[in-house]
Amino acid sequence: MFNRTTTFLMVFNGAICVFFFIRLFFFSHSRTVLNDVVQGILIGFALAFVTAQIFMRIKATKVNGWITMFGCGVPGNGMLLRAAHAQIFLGPINVPQEAMYWTTSGDGAGRTLSGLHDYIMHFPAGGLPPNNAFWSLTMGNAKNRFVANPINRYSVSDRSGLVPNADGSVEIYIQNAAPAGHESNWLPAPSGRFILWLRVYMPGASILDGEYKVPPIVEVK
Amino acid sequence: MTHMEYNEHLLIFGGVCAAAWFLFTYFWPLMLLYVYKRAILVKGFGEGPIPINTLYMQPQTFFADPFLMPASGSNLATTGVNRDTLMTIGWLDLRQGPQILHVPDMAGRYYSVQFTDPSKNTNFAYVGKRTTGTGAGDHLISGPGWKGAVPQGMPQISSPNNSVLIIGRVLVYSDSDLSIVYGLMKQIQLKPLNDSIQQK
Repeated sequence: MFNRTTTFLMVFNGAICVFFFIRLFFFSHSRTVLNDVVQGILIGFALAFVTAQIFMRIKATKVNGWITMFGCGVPGNGMLLRAAHAQIFLGPINVPQEAMYWTTSGDGAGRTLSGLHDYIMHFPAGGLPPNNAFWSLTMGNAKNRFVANPINRYSVSDRSGLVPNADGSVEIYIQNAAPAGHESNWLPAPSGRFILWLRVYMPGASILDGEYKVPPIVEVK
Repeated sequence: MTHMEYNEHLLIFGGVCAAAWFLFTYFWPLMLLYVYKRAILVKGFGEGPIPINTLYMQPQTFFADPFLMPASGSNLATTGVNRDTLMTIGWLDLRQGPQILHVPDMAGRYYSVQFTDPSKNTNFAYVGKRTTGTGAGDHLISGPGWKGAVPQGMPQISSPNNSVLIIGRVLVYSDSDLSIVYGLMKQIQLKPLNDSIQQK
């Protein structure tokens, strides 16, 4: 996951390791073999977590606030990439050819998504995620759970009858209250913080080669 | 114990630390997948543990009402937000011989069955629309080193590991489509190769 808790844990762990190494190498003190072994295991674990987190942040792609990682779950992946994958997606997700997943907890300007504001996601004409199976944009609250709402709509997708604008572009209204006149394109948000998931199954070539850019979530109010 | 130089302590610490770093990094995916193994084989998803070499289907009621939670067992199946696909999940042990995965005719509908090597969290094979099409079929899944005869005409999937995590997903078009998907999903089944030979 890519949230504040893991960032804090990573920095905290890293700081402990640095402190420990400085103390170890620059200030001699009495030691026992038991110390060496126990501390070696603990510091080794902390370093494994920190390096996997750092590597995950290097390998992850962030475009318009959306975070994803290419190459997850592919046989032949190296040890570090596999560990990084386990950090960003807490489960056995698909290989890129089968599905790509993006997530964000912030808008295109980097501000935290919250139901206190109204947002629009604008897909230009012909700019919906290219795929040979389906795409979807799913709402989760701050704990990545479904958000109760009066129209029982938890995601918008290629199956939800989105109404395009006259110029062929598609706008998704992401907000807590129903957008007057645009109910068909409403993805209900909670009153508080939320996150979004974009899934594209059997993604098109322009996604796999990194050419396709997921549009940002834009705050309008 | 004899007195040791500080440098010798540093060497021991450094060696243990490097080994621990390597082991934790290498086995991180395995630790993550162990959670899935435990959820499937020990906790289950509300209806008791899922036997090995069996697929467990997410009940359609949980998909229909996203706020319904299983009364007992692991909440792994209802963790995260997914409104697209109904899921089926299972854990294979191929030491006793290969398994046959049967998939029904999905008539063009998107579906996939993912085969994950739990030691590496990598997907070594897929059955589904992208890789094998949406027609009905049987697929043989064999463990490493298995040298038996493959039934004629049956595609073989060679697993690098005797343990395999299987995740199946079938696309749901709408609420009214859910029971159709459920019916299709029920036909995604596993059976041991040896049984099918004895039956013939």
